[in-house]
Amino acid sequence: MNTAMLIIGTSLPMNKPLKSGLSAIQQDTQLCKVCDRASSISLNKTHCPHCGTPISVRTKHSIQKTWALLCIAFIFIFPANIYPITYLLKNNEAYPDTIFSGIMTLVSTGMTGIAIIVFVASMLVPVLKIIALAVISLAAHFKWKINPKTQLLAYTIVDWIGRWSILDLFVISIMMAVFDKGNFLSVYPGIAATSFTVVVITTLFAAQSFDTRLIWDANLDAN
Amino acid sequence: MNTIICRHCDLVSERPVLTKGYVAKCARCQHTLYKAKAANAKKILALALTALLLAPPAFSFSLVSVHLLGVTEQTNLLQGALLLIDFAPIVAFVVIFCAVVAPVLLAACMCFSSACIVLNKRPHLLSPVLKMTSLLIHWSMLEVYIVSFMVALFKLNSYADLYYDNGLFFLVALLILNMSMICEYSNAYYWDFFTNE
Ligand SMILES: [Zn+2]
Ligand SMILES: [Zn+2]
Repeated sequence: MNTAMLIIGTSLPMNKPLKSGLSAIQQDTQLCKVCDRASSISLNKTHCPHCGTPISVRTKHSIQKTWALLCIAFIFIFPANIYPITYLLKNNEAYPDTIFSGIMTLVSTGMTGIAIIVFVASMLVPVLKIIALAVISLAAHFKWKINPKTQLLAYTIVDWIGRWSILDLFVISIMMAVFDKGNFLSVYPGIAATSFTVVVITTLFAAQSFDTRLIWDANLDAN
Repeated sequence: MNTIICRHCDLVSERPVLTKGYVAKCARCQHTLYKAKAANAKKILALALTALLLAPPAFSFSLVSVHLLGVTEQTNLLQGALLLIDFAPIVAFVVIFCAVVAPVLLAACMCFSSACIVLNKRPHLLSPVLKMTSLLIHWSMLEVYIVSFMVALFKLNSYADLYYDNGLFFLVALLILNMSMICEYSNAYYWDFFTNE
């Protein structure tokens, strides 16, 4: 904290006014993601002069981190969908359920609405999330001319809807607790539950490590 | 300074004077730049304190009773997550973190930082607390838990008779408090307070 105070004391040269309508990076200015304050890029290379946290113009290695996490998610999405996610123990006999067979059971018992919720949260969203993030980060890296507004909209949707993938894990924990003491019925998580958790967590981190400002950096001339 | 930089697309905009109830949006990416109302630290402090008080009953009281073959079983949130530890520790960790730890820690952090503003104190601890608050907002998933709970109830309906318990009301109240806290909170406002003497 002492070093932070020192830095705050030494360099605060925010006197020349910024021109609106241009990106801050074009005017030697960076925004601190922690404290939401602007500072000069050339004078503050390592730390934010306002809050003292390490700063970089764009999130460091943003695209590489996003890609690494997406690769892990892509690998684990296969076991998550192939192996059983839950076992239903009924009269000492185990009935395995994969994500898909669980959804089919819901459809066959007439709970189509719930089946759609589970299908969207557990199957559609993780796959769409990986594809969307992959396309956006490729576009940012190779400066593809895809409408930046569309890209940011896709990112915002992916970021918001991604958290709903965790739904199935919560459902498992609730089902387990409900059937805890009963000898007649019980529920256990399968290998796919852990794989699915890895997919959900890595895609959440992948979305967070992607810096959306890179979308506009790739389209600076196009605006 | 009379300009503002968009944290989503890096566009510099002039800071307009906002009338009450209005929101400034970025011209390039349409994300919210800032709201007219300043964060009300007293209100957040009250919300966060209430949330902290409601958290123990919300997590430990029974949410639902299941009537199965003459036996009634009660289920609470913590019990469900703790049972998972033996079978799938990673799943258990994620469930406990997103449904219990993150919402409680978030309330505690906002309680601390709002109390600092109300008392006009700037302890060194405030800086890590504010950083943690921004992180925790992402990981607090009570709303997902409530929907999951409803999905689970629909699934269970075909096996057994269900009765709602008190814990559910506490949990819904906690969710509403949590969401109002996050709505009211402003990262920039709290940091402004911390860095300005
Ligand atoms: Zn800063
Ligand atoms: Zn913007």
